[in-house]
Amino acid sequence: MTVRKIGYTRVSIARWVPYLFLLPAFILLFAFRIAPALAGFREALYAHNLSPVKRTFVGWENFAHIFRDPIFWKSLRITLVFSLVTNPLQTALALALAILANQRVRGISLFRSIYLLPVVISINVTSTIWGLLLHKDAGMINGILVQLGLPRQPFLLSPDQALWTIIGIISWVGVPYWMMFFLAGLQGIPETLYEAAAIDGAGAWQCFRHITLPLLRRVIAFVLISDTVVNLFLFAPVWILTRGGPQLSTNLLMYDAYRRGFVWGDMGSSAAMMMILLVIAAIAVAVEFLVLRTREE
Amino acid sequence: MAESLAVDVAKRQVRRGRLTISRSVGQRTVTYFLLFFISILVIVPLMWAFAASFTPNDKVFQYVFPFSWRALFPVDFTLEAYRSLFLEEGFTRPVVNTLILGFSTVILSGVTNALAGFAFARFDFRGKDLLFGIVLLTFMIPGEVTMIPLYIVVSRLGLVNTWTVLIVPGLANSLIIFLFRQFFAEIPQDLIDAARVDGASWLKVFTSIVLPMSKPVLITASLLLFLGQWNSFFWPLLVAPDPRLRVVQVAVSYAYEEHQTLWNQLLAGSIMAAFVPILLVLPFQRYYVSGLVGSGLKE
Repeated sequence: MTVRKIGYTRVSIARWVPYLFLLPAFILLFAFRIAPALAGFREALYAHNLSPVKRTFVGWENFAHIFRDPIFWKSLRITLVFSLVTNPLQTALALALAILANQRVRGISLFRSIYLLPVVISINVTSTIWGLLLHKDAGMINGILVQLGLPRQPFLLSPDQALWTIIGIISWVGVPYWMMFFLAGLQGIPETLYEAAAIDGAGAWQCFRHITLPLLRRVIAFVLISDTVVNLFLFAPVWILTRGGPQLSTNLLMYDAYRRGFVWGDMGSSAAMMMILLVIAAIAVAVEFLVLRTREE
Repeated sequence: MAESLAVDVAKRQVRRGRLTISRSVGQRTVTYFLLFFISILVIVPLMWAFAASFTPNDKVFQYVFPFSWRALFPVDFTLEAYRSLFLEEGFTRPVVNTLILGFSTVILSGVTNALAGFAFARFDFRGKDLLFGIVLLTFMIPGEVTMIPLYIVVSRLGLVNTWTVLIVPGLANSLIIFLFRQFFAEIPQDLIDAARVDGASWLKVFTSIVLPMSKPVLITASLLLFLGQWNSFFWPLLVAPDPRLRVVQVAVSYAYEEHQTLWNQLLAGSIMAAFVPILLVLPFQRYYVSGLVGSGLKE
């Protein structure tokens, strides 16, 4: 099968051994990641009419149909607002939390373990528990508010509050998650830099601005970009808690794509929506990448 | 001599203590306060869910509204929610399903990705950069992008509601490939050379030399793969809604829909679904965190 040449002090490699090692993984990657992504482009050009098996070619009609749909535009607006708020917010909070979790105090590892909990729990358990906590009449959050003398809030039942509530819930998971990355980054910064700065009389804020931030630039970019992508494809909390409502106020693009396909049976539109979402994600990533690169301190 | 050394060490420790942000007692108090406050945000929801799952259904919200700290402890401790969950709702089925899926995935996916990681780490070959670029690309594309088209393909092939469709699509995992690649790159070349000179095939080198010394990365990879399967939700929801094939997370989400008023049971299911990851990750935290962060960041 393979030709083996045993050398003296140098060992040679039969030419196709590496490819054999890669074969299983790449067959699977092509079949289940790359091909479907490409197929997505193709399926978007067909109308599936209740059955994924029988389909008719409709060209750009799916896209045209979406662009004519006011629900799509509302969804787009909601998703953009959601993105513009959530990503910088989560990144900043994650960094702040990482600084806190990096403190050399006793018991810090206990706190780090605690902060890991929201990360390991699945998103739908998180959504379920928070859904109950945010209940209008029996939820703990309202219970605490009332105890403090504040009025009850409708949270997930209000078109004005629902989206922010979802942002809150996913941040409960997201901030600790991205904190892990910042913590690793912070731990990579040598103590000596801070020591030298302190000798020169630098205060905490100056240390942060001139040592921490510049050295964390790559991590910040990585977190911001990854967070952007992840949040653009947010689905689970919307599906479990609000189904896009109330009054379509949480109808993010990903959920809308799912709805068109699996609730209304219009798989073609669903695939088309996903393509649109993919383009948006690519643009967002490109923009963020460029912006974060040109800022040379 | 020893005394001045001790003084030096002490001085350095004092200096270190002063130079981290929490210096004075005041600043340390603030730090602890913040750490504690955020811990409350994390723990209280989980404590309530945990306590409520051991409470009779009509008492679940008893101390929640208006709020009192007693809400965080079970009122009239009872196992009825769990009993009903497993005996009447048949929650054992999803748990067993997911355990089987988890273990199969760990083995099959582990092998697949380890082989690929090994190839990237130890060989030089034509197209290496291109192929690695492809792996990188698949890492950056979120899973949801491929799920809907994949669903269309899978249902056309009649593979809906099968074990195959739950396991196979997720087997190749770019993050795990990165993980193995990073680890295998560190193996001393001499060990491999020695084996090869002795006439070992590459497969033998892989299985007899490399794998036995790979315990850390195997732990990390197994943890990530098992949890990935245990927590997986969207894909099984799409392709395996059949009650006989349900996975844990899907079962919990259906409970939220179908049994909205059986709070304690709903929470019991949620706690069960959350318990396994917590139980697995806490003792192996370092592996879990470094696996996610290390491979993701470096690439």
